[in-house]
Amino acid sequence: LAQKAIIRVIPFKLEPLMLEGVFASVADVTPAEGKLLQFHPLSLCNTSEDEHTIPGFVSIVKLERPERDLHPCLSLANKAKLAGERGARAVLFDITDDQGAADQLKKPRGLSHPVVLIWGHDAELLMGVVNNNREAHVKIEVKEMPAWPDYDVWI
Amino acid sequence: MNPSVSQPCPGGCATCSEYNGCVTCKPRFFFFLERIGIRQTGVCLTSCPSGYYGKRFPEPNACTKCKADCEACFNNNFCTKCKNGFYLHLGKCLENCPEWLEPNNYTMECNDIVH
Repeated sequence: LAQKAIIRVIPFKLEPLMLEGVFASVADVTPAEGKLLQFHPLSLCNTSEDEHTIPGFVSIVKLERPERDLHPCLSLANKAKLAGERGARAVLFDITDDQGAADQLKKPRGLSHPVVLIWGHDAELLMGVVNNNREAHVKIEVKEMPAWPDYDVWI
Repeated sequence: MNPSVSQPCPGGCATCSEYNGCVTCKPRFFFFLERIGIRQTGVCLTSCPSGYYGKRFPEPNACTKCKADCEACFNNNFCTKCKNGFYLHLGKCLENCPEWLEPNNYTMECNDIVH
Protein backbone atom coordinates (compact mmCIF):
# COMPACT_ATOMS: atom_id res chain seq x y z
CA LEU A 1 0.00 0.00 0.00
CA ALA A 2 1.62 3.23 -1.13
CA GLN A 3 2.13 5.85 1.55
CA LYS A 4 -0.18 8.81 1.17
CA ALA A 5 1.10 12.37 1.26
CA ILE A 6 -0.65 15.53 2.39
CA ILE A 7 0.37 18.49 0.24
CA ARG A 8 -0.36 21.88 1.76
CA VAL A 9 -0.11 24.66 -0.80
CA ILE A 10 0.00 28.12 0.76
CA PRO A 11 -0.30 30.73 -2.01
CA PHE A 12 0.76 34.28 -1.18
CA LYS A 13 -2.32 36.18 0.11
CA LEU A 14 -4.72 33.37 -0.81
CA GLU A 15 -6.49 30.55 0.98
CA PRO A 16 -4.28 27.49 1.51
CA LEU A 17 -5.09 24.28 -0.29
CA MET A 18 -4.84 20.84 1.25
CA LEU A 19 -4.27 18.23 -1.41
CA GLU A 20 -3.38 14.57 -1.41
CA GLY A 21 -0.85 12.52 -3.31
CA VAL A 22 1.18 9.37 -2.99
CA PHE A 23 4.86 8.98 -2.15
CA ALA A 24 6.74 7.16 -4.88
CA SER A 25 9.02 4.47 -3.53
CA VAL A 26 11.88 5.62 -5.74
CA ALA A 27 12.64 8.03 -2.91
CA ASP A 28 12.47 8.21 0.86
CA VAL A 29 9.09 8.81 2.49
CA THR A 30 9.88 11.99 4.35
CA PRO A 31 8.34 15.44 4.86
CA ALA A 32 9.69 18.42 2.94
CA GLU A 33 8.80 22.00 2.19
CA GLY A 34 9.84 24.88 0.00
CA LYS A 35 8.80 27.43 -2.60
CA LEU A 36 6.69 25.98 -5.43
CA LEU A 37 8.49 26.11 -8.79
CA GLN A 38 7.27 24.61 -12.08
CA PHE A 39 9.67 22.74 -14.33
CA HIS A 40 9.00 21.80 -17.94
CA PRO A 41 9.50 18.04 -18.46
CA LEU A 42 12.27 18.83 -20.98
CA SER A 43 14.14 20.97 -18.47
CA LEU A 44 15.10 17.81 -16.57
CA CYS A 45 17.56 16.54 -19.17
CA ASN A 46 21.35 16.38 -18.96
CA THR A 47 21.54 18.52 -22.07
CA SER A 48 19.27 21.20 -20.68
CA GLU A 49 20.62 24.20 -18.89
CA ASP A 50 20.77 24.25 -15.16
CA GLU A 51 18.97 27.47 -14.34
CA HIS A 52 21.00 28.14 -11.18
CA THR A 53 17.74 28.50 -9.26
CA ILE A 54 18.17 29.13 -5.56
CA PRO A 55 18.13 25.71 -3.87
CA GLY A 56 15.29 24.89 -1.50
CA PHE A 57 12.30 24.81 -3.85
CA VAL A 58 9.66 22.14 -4.47
CA SER A 59 9.44 21.21 -8.14
CA ILE A 60 6.15 20.54 -9.87
CA VAL A 61 6.40 18.77 -13.22
CA LYS A 62 3.31 18.22 -15.31
CA LEU A 63 3.98 15.07 -17.34
CA GLU A 64 2.82 15.01 -20.94
CA ARG A 65 0.98 12.10 -22.56
CA PRO A 66 3.60 9.42 -23.35
CA GLU A 67 2.99 9.63 -27.11
CA ARG A 68 4.13 13.24 -27.01
CA ASP A 69 7.57 12.38 -25.69
CA LEU A 70 8.51 9.23 -27.55
CA HIS A 71 12.24 9.55 -26.88
CA PRO A 72 12.52 10.82 -23.32
CA CYS A 73 15.99 12.18 -22.55
CA LEU A 74 16.04 10.48 -19.14
CA SER A 75 13.91 8.01 -17.21
CA LEU A 76 11.54 9.58 -14.68
CA ALA A 77 13.65 8.20 -11.85
CA ASN A 78 16.71 9.96 -13.26
CA LYS A 79 14.71 13.14 -13.85
CA ALA A 80 13.68 13.06 -10.18
CA LYS A 81 17.32 12.50 -9.22
CA LEU A 82 18.48 15.39 -11.44
CA ALA A 83 15.89 17.72 -9.92
CA GLY A 84 17.33 16.98 -6.49
CA GLU A 85 20.85 17.61 -7.73
CA ARG A 86 19.65 20.99 -9.02
CA GLY A 87 18.34 22.04 -5.61
CA ALA A 88 14.83 20.63 -5.31
CA ARG A 89 13.81 19.60 -1.80
CA ALA A 90 10.97 17.53 -3.24
CA VAL A 91 9.55 16.68 -6.65
CA LEU A 92 5.84 16.59 -7.42
CA PHE A 93 4.86 14.78 -10.61
CA ASP A 94 1.39 15.46 -12.02
CA ILE A 95 0.69 12.09 -13.64
CA THR A 96 -2.86 12.85 -14.76
CA ASP A 97 -1.89 12.39 -18.42
CA ASP A 98 0.68 9.65 -17.83
CA GLN A 99 -0.61 7.15 -15.29
CA GLY A 100 2.10 4.71 -16.33
CA ALA A 101 4.62 7.03 -14.74
CA ALA A 102 3.84 5.50 -11.35
CA ASP A 103 5.37 2.22 -12.47
CA GLN A 104 8.57 3.97 -13.51
CA LEU A 105 8.93 5.38 -10.00
CA LYS A 106 8.25 2.18 -8.02
CA LYS A 107 11.74 0.79 -7.87
CA PRO A 108 13.54 2.09 -4.75
CA ARG A 109 16.57 4.25 -5.59
CA GLY A 110 17.04 5.79 -2.16
CA LEU A 111 16.66 9.36 -3.35
CA SER A 112 16.83 11.50 -0.23
CA HIS A 113 14.31 14.11 -1.41
CA PRO A 114 10.73 12.82 -1.55
CA VAL A 115 8.95 12.23 -4.86
CA VAL A 116 5.16 12.59 -4.72
CA LEU A 117 2.66 11.67 -7.42
CA ILE A 118 -0.49 13.71 -7.79
CA TRP A 119 -3.33 13.39 -10.31
CA GLY A 120 -6.94 14.23 -11.05
CA HIS A 121 -8.74 17.02 -9.20
CA ASP A 122 -5.94 17.56 -6.68
CA ALA A 123 -3.47 18.01 -9.54
CA GLU A 124 -5.86 20.36 -11.30
CA LEU A 125 -6.03 22.58 -8.22
CA LEU A 126 -2.25 22.61 -7.88
CA MET A 127 -1.69 23.40 -11.54
CA GLY A 128 -4.26 26.16 -11.20
CA VAL A 129 -1.92 27.87 -8.75
CA VAL A 130 0.95 27.39 -11.20
CA ASN A 131 -1.07 28.59 -14.17
CA ASN A 132 -1.93 31.78 -12.33
CA ASN A 133 1.75 32.19 -11.55
CA ARG A 134 1.04 32.60 -7.85
CA GLU A 135 4.03 32.40 -5.56
CA ALA A 136 3.31 29.65 -3.06
CA HIS A 137 4.94 27.71 -0.30
CA VAL A 138 4.45 23.95 -0.26
CA LYS A 139 4.53 21.62 2.73
CA ILE A 140 4.60 17.88 2.13
CA GLU A 141 3.62 15.74 5.09
CA VAL A 142 3.33 11.99 5.63
CA LYS A 143 -0.33 11.11 6.08
CA GLU A 144 -0.78 8.94 9.14
CA MET A 145 -2.09 5.51 8.22
CA PRO A 146 -5.23 4.60 10.27
CA ALA A 147 -4.37 2.17 13.14
CA TRP A 148 -7.22 -0.08 12.05
CA PRO A 149 -8.05 -0.29 8.38
CA ASP A 150 -11.47 1.35 8.10
CA TYR A 151 -13.73 -1.56 7.43
CA ASP A 152 -16.87 -2.53 9.33
CA VAL A 153 -16.34 -5.03 12.11
CA TRP A 154 -19.55 -6.89 13.17
CA ILE A 155 -19.61 -8.47 16.63
CA MET B 1 -5.77 26.41 -23.84
CA ASN B 2 -7.74 23.41 -22.68
CA PRO B 3 -5.62 20.29 -22.56
CA SER B 4 -8.44 18.03 -23.59
CA VAL B 5 -9.51 20.14 -26.55
CA SER B 6 -6.74 20.60 -29.08
CA GLN B 7 -6.09 24.31 -29.24
CA PRO B 8 -3.85 25.89 -31.86
CA CYS B 9 -0.28 26.01 -30.63
CA PRO B 10 1.62 29.27 -30.62
CA GLY B 11 3.84 30.07 -33.62
CA GLY B 12 6.68 27.64 -34.16
CA CYS B 13 5.28 24.94 -31.88
CA ALA B 14 4.59 21.54 -33.32
CA THR B 15 2.96 20.24 -30.13
CA CYS B 16 2.02 22.11 -26.99
CA SER B 17 -0.05 21.84 -23.84
CA GLU B 18 -1.72 24.26 -21.46
CA TYR B 19 0.71 23.99 -18.58
CA ASN B 20 4.01 23.24 -20.35
CA GLY B 21 3.55 25.46 -23.41
CA CYS B 22 5.53 24.12 -26.37
CA VAL B 23 6.68 20.53 -26.13
CA THR B 24 8.14 20.13 -29.62
CA CYS B 25 9.02 22.74 -32.26
CA LYS B 26 8.52 22.87 -36.00
CA PRO B 27 11.61 22.40 -38.16
CA ARG B 28 14.17 25.24 -38.08
CA PHE B 29 12.80 26.63 -34.79
CA PHE B 30 14.81 26.55 -31.59
CA PHE B 31 13.28 25.20 -28.39
CA PHE B 32 13.76 27.52 -25.41
CA LEU B 33 12.70 27.13 -21.77
CA GLU B 34 11.34 30.43 -20.52
CA ARG B 35 10.82 31.09 -16.81
CA ILE B 36 8.40 33.77 -15.70
CA GLY B 37 7.80 33.74 -11.96
CA ILE B 38 7.13 30.21 -10.79
CA ARG B 39 6.16 29.06 -14.29
CA GLN B 40 8.51 27.50 -16.77
CA THR B 41 7.16 26.95 -20.27
CA GLY B 42 8.58 25.90 -23.59
CA VAL B 43 8.67 28.39 -26.49
CA CYS B 44 9.87 27.98 -30.08
CA LEU B 45 11.99 30.78 -31.50
CA THR B 46 13.57 31.59 -34.83
CA SER B 47 16.58 32.96 -32.98
CA CYS B 48 17.76 32.63 -29.42
CA PRO B 49 17.85 35.40 -26.81
CA SER B 50 21.12 37.09 -25.80
CA GLY B 51 23.25 34.82 -23.68
CA TYR B 52 22.18 31.79 -25.74
CA TYR B 53 23.02 30.37 -29.15
CA GLY B 54 21.01 28.11 -31.42
CA LYS B 55 22.33 24.57 -31.38
CA ARG B 56 21.10 22.43 -34.28
CA PHE B 57 22.79 19.11 -33.54
CA PRO B 58 21.96 16.79 -32.01
CA GLU B 59 18.19 17.09 -32.23
CA PRO B 60 16.17 18.78 -30.99
CA ASN B 61 17.27 22.24 -32.03
CA ALA B 62 17.57 24.12 -28.78
CA CYS B 63 18.76 27.43 -27.39
CA THR B 64 21.88 26.67 -25.39
CA LYS B 65 23.61 28.91 -22.90
CA CYS B 66 26.89 30.62 -23.84
CA LYS B 67 29.91 29.86 -21.71
CA ALA B 68 29.95 31.25 -18.17
CA ASP B 69 32.31 34.13 -19.00
CA CYS B 70 30.45 35.10 -22.14
CA GLU B 71 27.44 37.41 -22.39
CA ALA B 72 26.58 36.91 -26.04
CA CYS B 73 27.89 34.28 -28.40
CA PHE B 74 27.67 32.94 -31.89
CA ASN B 75 28.23 29.40 -30.72
CA ASN B 76 29.86 27.61 -27.81
CA ASN B 77 33.32 28.47 -29.02
CA PHE B 78 32.88 31.99 -30.36
CA CYS B 79 31.91 34.74 -27.96
CA THR B 80 30.88 38.13 -29.31
CA LYS B 81 30.62 39.98 -25.98
CA CYS B 82 32.32 39.00 -22.73
CA LYS B 83 31.03 39.47 -19.23
CA ASN B 84 32.43 42.24 -17.03
CA GLY B 85 36.09 41.80 -16.17
CA PHE B 86 36.98 39.77 -19.29
CA TYR B 87 38.71 40.88 -22.48
CA LEU B 88 37.47 39.62 -25.84
CA HIS B 89 40.13 38.20 -28.16
CA LEU B 90 39.41 36.08 -31.21
CA GLY B 91 36.06 34.94 -29.81
CA LYS B 92 37.52 34.01 -26.46
CA CYS B 93 37.10 35.74 -23.08
CA LEU B 94 40.37 36.29 -21.26
CA GLU B 95 41.07 37.63 -17.77
CA ASN B 96 44.27 39.17 -19.12
CA CYS B 97 45.45 39.95 -22.63
CA PRO B 98 48.43 38.07 -24.03
CA GLU B 99 51.69 39.98 -23.47
CA TRP B 100 52.06 40.87 -27.19
CA LEU B 101 48.69 42.63 -27.11
CA GLU B 102 47.42 45.71 -25.33
CA PRO B 103 44.21 45.68 -23.23
CA ASN B 104 41.66 48.30 -24.23
CA ASN B 105 39.68 49.02 -21.10
CA TYR B 106 37.08 50.97 -23.08
CA THR B 107 36.12 48.29 -25.57
CA MET B 108 37.34 45.49 -23.30
CA GLU B 109 39.27 43.95 -26.18
CA CYS B 110 42.91 43.06 -26.71
CA ASN B 111 44.50 45.26 -29.39
CA ASP B 112 47.78 45.21 -31.26
CA ILE B 113 50.46 47.29 -29.56
CA VAL B 114 50.99 50.53 -31.54
CA HIS B 115 54.68 51.56 -31.61
